[in-house]
Amino acid sequence: MTIDHILTLLLAVPAVGLLPLYVFRNDPRSVKQVAVVTTLFELVLSLVMLVQFHPGEAGFQLVEQADWLPSLGIRYLVGVDGISVLLVPMTTLLTFISVLYSSGGAIKDRIASFMAAFLVLEIGMVGVFVSLDLFLFYVMFELMLVPMYLIIGIWGGPRRIYSTLKFVIFTLAGSLLMLVAIVAVWLASGDEGSRTLSLPELLASRSRFSADFQFWVFLAFGLAFAIKLPMVPFHTWLPDAHVEAPTAGSIILAGVLLKAGGYGFLRFALPLFPVGTQLWLPVIIVLSVIAILYGAAVSTVQKDLKKLVAYSSVAHMGFVTLGIFVLNSQGGVGAVLQMLNHGFVTGALFLFVGIQYERTHRRLIADLGGLANRWPLYTTFFGIFVLASLGLPGLNGFVGEFLVLLGTFKFSGVPLGGLFWGPVAALGVILAAVYLLWMFQRVMYGPVRDAYRALPDLSPIEVACAVPLLVLTVLLGVFPQAAIAIIEPSLQQVLRLATDPGFQVAFK
Amino acid sequence: MTAFVDTLTPVLPEVIVTITACIVLVVDGLLPRGQSRLVLPAMTVVGLALAFLSGPLAPPSGQYFGGFVQIDTFTTFFRAVFIVLAVFATLVAPSYLDRRGIPPGEYYATICFSTVGAMTIALSTDLITLFVGLELMTIPIYVLAGMQRRDRFANEAALKYFLLGAFSSALLVYGFAWLYGVTGSTRYIDVATELQRIGLANGPTIVALALVTVGLGFKAAVVPFHQWTPDAYDGAPTPATAFMSVGPKAAAFAAILRVLVSGLAPLQVDWSTVFAVLAAVTMTGGNIVALAQTNTKRMLAYSSIAHTGYILAAVAASAAGPSATAAVLFYVFAYGVMNLGAFACLLYFDIEGSRGATLEELNGFARRQPLGAFAFAIFLFSLTGIPPTVGFVAKFLVIQPVLDAGYAWLAVFIALNAVLAAFYYLRVVVHMYMYDPETGVPMVASTRLLSAALGLSAVATIVLGVLPNSLYEWALQAANPLLRQ
Repeated sequence: MTIDHILTLLLAVPAVGLLPLYVFRNDPRSVKQVAVVTTLFELVLSLVMLVQFHPGEAGFQLVEQADWLPSLGIRYLVGVDGISVLLVPMTTLLTFISVLYSSGGAIKDRIASFMAAFLVLEIGMVGVFVSLDLFLFYVMFELMLVPMYLIIGIWGGPRRIYSTLKFVIFTLAGSLLMLVAIVAVWLASGDEGSRTLSLPELLASRSRFSADFQFWVFLAFGLAFAIKLPMVPFHTWLPDAHVEAPTAGSIILAGVLLKAGGYGFLRFALPLFPVGTQLWLPVIIVLSVIAILYGAAVSTVQKDLKKLVAYSSVAHMGFVTLGIFVLNSQGGVGAVLQMLNHGFVTGALFLFVGIQYERTHRRLIADLGGLANRWPLYTTFFGIFVLASLGLPGLNGFVGEFLVLLGTFKFSGVPLGGLFWGPVAALGVILAAVYLLWMFQRVMYGPVRDAYRALPDLSPIEVACAVPLLVLTVLLGVFPQAAIAIIEPSLQQVLRLATDPGFQVAFK
Repeated sequence: MTAFVDTLTPVLPEVIVTITACIVLVVDGLLPRGQSRLVLPAMTVVGLALAFLSGPLAPPSGQYFGGFVQIDTFTTFFRAVFIVLAVFATLVAPSYLDRRGIPPGEYYATICFSTVGAMTIALSTDLITLFVGLELMTIPIYVLAGMQRRDRFANEAALKYFLLGAFSSALLVYGFAWLYGVTGSTRYIDVATELQRIGLANGPTIVALALVTVGLGFKAAVVPFHQWTPDAYDGAPTPATAFMSVGPKAAAFAAILRVLVSGLAPLQVDWSTVFAVLAAVTMTGGNIVALAQTNTKRMLAYSSIAHTGYILAAVAASAAGPSATAAVLFYVFAYGVMNLGAFACLLYFDIEGSRGATLEELNGFARRQPLGAFAFAIFLFSLTGIPPTVGFVAKFLVIQPVLDAGYAWLAVFIALNAVLAAFYYLRVVVHMYMYDPETGVPMVASTRLLSAALGLSAVATIVLGVLPNSLYEWALQAANPLLRQ
């Protein structure tokens, strides 16, 4: 079965879902049904899209385009390649799980607005991964911002307002500078009348970007992505946002929104600004290794369960940037896999922390303990995800981190060489085992509190949310080759573009 | 007789608006108070709509009235802007005027007269036409500001606005006199040609241009000539504030474009640096003071100063060609729609004993009036410059000529200022959506007409943000005549 205009459909379905949501806004039952059905439909559609994709080809597929602002050469241009094609179903799956979980009773107040925010968020997230025009990409990048601002600010914890404003102001500061850079790219892309912002044409005219220009523009793009990712030292909004966000918000924030930063580097910054990449590469590699170690070290001393998972994200994202900027196939494929794996695993960890919190109303590790005795099902799931997160071979977390480290060892284009930074980064993997296992031990084992004895194990809805993530965690761990085969050709093309400024490529 | 009618057809829209204003005044005297409440705004809207529709009937581009009047795409663009703004200011007013006991006939007629003045500025080719238009626009606004005769804040607003307005008009007319003295003409074209011949670097020319710049800077509320704005906006009746904050500003930029940009086109390199610095100071100054406000009406007043700065940045970039002027026009239109909307949203909070919505009064507004809060949020996001709103496209279009003209530092200034602005705009959203209404918070005033007008402009804010092409094409066309002069 082939569906035409499937990417546009993917962007349209959540928007269409808003209408019945508004009609039934006063009936929580219907609202939940509409939201679940819409996101499920979106998920199925994204799987159809995955089936229609031909793996093994490097170029963009399922491309659609239309004029948007013709006088400025701005077009509606969407398409997917091996890097983005897996991120889209990851997004739709995590959105579906978030909506399904929230409809189980986690959100009671203003549920119609909550679901509407999620649908708008989904448009933005899918849009970021399929946009091939910088203007469209920017619009989608920002479209993710407002719903998340409302989700944290309205349905979040006690310090939600401080956290959500911090999140928005940080992100906006980065992205507005990127906007200036986008305009600069537009001006440099051609003479008056032939200027453009669409990626294929920009790649064809990127030789016009001088080294000086690339230095500054890469800085602006990099700042936006580094804040979104987040890279140390721009990560300070992340723990606050995660701690205060409702569970579904945390899942999406960690699972998808952070990926927009890593994806932005791969899709736009590297191929468009090869010289800028080379100039900034040492800084980013050092910051990535710092993020890995610092994230792990700070996670170790966290008292708050959610903060621990949040800081572990900082470390995991360090692997993503490290893998991207060692500019070889192993590192790059590892980075994309790490994005996927982190989406599934950390999404799952936030889900389970949320499930636990909803029952015990405690997030401090010291207040918990002995839950393993009462909740066998919960413990099994949570345990597997913790093991995946710390990189146990056989589960997905291992594959990405292993490949990134492999790529780093092979890389020599940085002071002190990859043989220095690789082992240093590998320390982070050991630290991850320390903080995650220690946390698991303190939360799940030991004597159980009386107050927690009567609490129920996972409900059917919660199991339904966890099972797909578990299946993918095992599948990608045992058989990563399927994903690698899809990612590799496109990734190598990006690397060729990033390492050889003279390399030109024809896009379909 | 027909000859006389023929000479009037180029300015048919202006004539219709004037007649509307007169009819409204007469009918107001004839009708009992109860009926005038809805009849007058309906008549005003119909009159303005007729004026809008009569635009295409007027003869094609050209100069009329012995060269005192210029009809071109630029004129048409601004006519449409002013009429749209006036319609909006009319639609949101009725129940407010009722509550405050402001005579409706005077309000609507004043709005119309001021609109005629603004339209006159857009069609001027001569310093004299310009000055007549400017005064015709501002004098009714002094009246608007002080219409609540028994309110001491309104009196303060009107007096301040009048004194500083008169002062700036004096500066301006004095500058015009110098220009005439230097160049021997009041027509823009002749002034420009003469200035080009003698150059900028002589005392009298510099004095003349400085006076004109300062005078127009007062009208547009450019820092440091902005001090009248917050008090005037704050004290005036809210529907009038909504109109004041956009109409005269748009007109001031029409004047700046006509006089300084097209008139000084050959010399713009020297003059544009002044504008770039003024733009940076204006946006930063407006934003920083807006940050400190706890009253939403004052906050919006200061933020409108910041928006002057963004528009001025595009004016400074006029070396970049038509895209700069088009950016000014696009921004003026976008700003008109979103800022009028934002001020009009404050009408919900117009309760006995309150003056313009402190942040606490906004608490939980989203629960009390979901659609009104949603519209307000859209205007605020648009003012911040977050897509997919028209405000975002406007910012994008402004940054583009600014970079093109080589003012990279100014583009970065715009970006950082937008972050500053995000903080106070989003704080309003926080209060509306993220706090619960406290006990004792007064109910919100509501009228269907207000909600309908707000809904319409909120939809416009989004639609023009998603599909900005036709508006931008129109702005480009309107920018054309300025370049050919």
